[in-house]
Amino acid sequence: MESFGNFQVEEVTSSPQAISLRELTSIVAHLVSDSSTRDRWVTAEIMDFAVRGGHCYMELVDKDADTGKTLAKLRAIIWASVYPRMSAMFCAATGQQLASGLKVMVKVTVNFHSVFGISAVISDIDPGYTMGDLVRRRNMMIQQLKDEGIYDMNRSLPWPDPTLRIAVVSARGAAGYGDFIHQLYSNPLRLRFTTRLFEAVMQGERAPASMVAALGRIAAEADEWDAVAIIRGGGATSDLVSLDNYELASHVAQFPLPVIVGVGHERDVTILDYVAGMRVKTPTAAAEWLVGRAGAQLDGLRDIATRLLRAVSDTLSGNSRQLSFYQGQIPVLAAGVSQRAAARLQRYGVSLSAVASGRIVRRLDGLSAMSDKIAMAVSTRVRTHADRLDAAATLLKVLSPEATLKRGYSITRIDGHSVTSAEDVPAGATLVTTLASGTITSTVNQS
Amino acid sequence: MDTAKTPVDKLTYTQALTELETILRTLQSDSCDVDRLTELTRRAAALLSHCRSRLTATDKELREILDSLEATPQAGE
Repeated sequence: MESFGNFQVEEVTSSPQAISLRELTSIVAHLVSDSSTRDRWVTAEIMDFAVRGGHCYMELVDKDADTGKTLAKLRAIIWASVYPRMSAMFCAATGQQLASGLKVMVKVTVNFHSVFGISAVISDIDPGYTMGDLVRRRNMMIQQLKDEGIYDMNRSLPWPDPTLRIAVVSARGAAGYGDFIHQLYSNPLRLRFTTRLFEAVMQGERAPASMVAALGRIAAEADEWDAVAIIRGGGATSDLVSLDNYELASHVAQFPLPVIVGVGHERDVTILDYVAGMRVKTPTAAAEWLVGRAGAQLDGLRDIATRLLRAVSDTLSGNSRQLSFYQGQIPVLAAGVSQRAAARLQRYGVSLSAVASGRIVRRLDGLSAMSDKIAMAVSTRVRTHADRLDAAATLLKVLSPEATLKRGYSITRIDGHSVTSAEDVPAGATLVTTLASGTITSTVNQS
Repeated sequence: MDTAKTPVDKLTYTQALTELETILRTLQSDSCDVDRLTELTRRAAALLSHCRSRLTATDKELREILDSLEATPQAGE
């Protein structure tokens, strides 16, 4: 009790002049509220961005460019009265929602509140600065990917024919995913697509790692898929910063299947749009592109079918034309052949008769010559024989018994046989002597 | 690779397409043998039908696919 009493006494008696904390904070507030801290443009990076009750809360930080160490940090607020207008303007200019990780140039007024302490109230923002920073950062990433030789890898992958089995990296229940699926399966061509959702966080700081993990799950069964679609609902909720990530870009660039990116952004692009095999603006457009590609395959088949039909009917009609030509030709040719044959026969006939008659004439000439010769030969022969006969006749006439008898000779016969020896004549025989003229019969007296 | 002897349903889409184009070239060439016309046309028709069926789904299949897609999120949530 006593000490307590002493303390009280001591405090009352020896305490220096003090002011209340409220007084102190009001002094600070007064000091802070200076023209040098009012409506100043500052550059900083946004962290811990959040919207509550229409007001927008964040930390503005300044980091060492080399080490990443935080050099300065200040709470900042955008009041609900200005946030929608500022956000729309920023979004329209950058294609990017205000979000953690962005570098911004903002007009702030530093304010000190007795309870909440020091903070900056943001009244304006320069989107050009953020744009420049995003582009700068993206360009650095692109350069790094190029230096590593992986920048073009996904883009140079051929799209398989057909591209029908699509592994989808998206968020479950996301509007963009629904649009994609609807567009893919309600295609009027009834293309046979197969899809499976490989879930990933598509926004915020966790997005890149989550998407890389989803890509890893697809890569583990890459044989099952033709391509990958990275899709995310678009519109005002877009958040490009989380996709402008080197790790993610590197995985997409080196992914073994072609990747189509439709992350719902109309105005600007992310690094993924540079490295992916195909970029479109929205999930719907991604589905349309895939449908169009498969549809082109169908068209190609239809074209082949048409050309096949034409080739077959050309071949058939060509051959049947050829056949009917031959058909028409056969009677003509046959008639021609028989005419020619007839003509030939006639020719042969003519020439044959000519030849034949020539020969006959020649033969006839020969024959007649021969008959003359024969006649001549015959007459010669006849004449010769006649001459010979004449000679013989003359000789005969000379040698004939009559001629001998006329020369005085006579023939003596006994009983009809001529007598050439006296010994053949017995006594008493009757001799008949023939003279040239007449006969004498005598009887032998003595032999 | 010559796939003319391979059954159609054993071919990949690309193989079938390549063979189709080969047949087409044969049919369009002057040296197409009429004796082979029927055989080639039949093969081409089978290849075309194979490729088409790879590309397109029947109504029943489409319904099944859509049903399974609608069922998945509900089961997960």
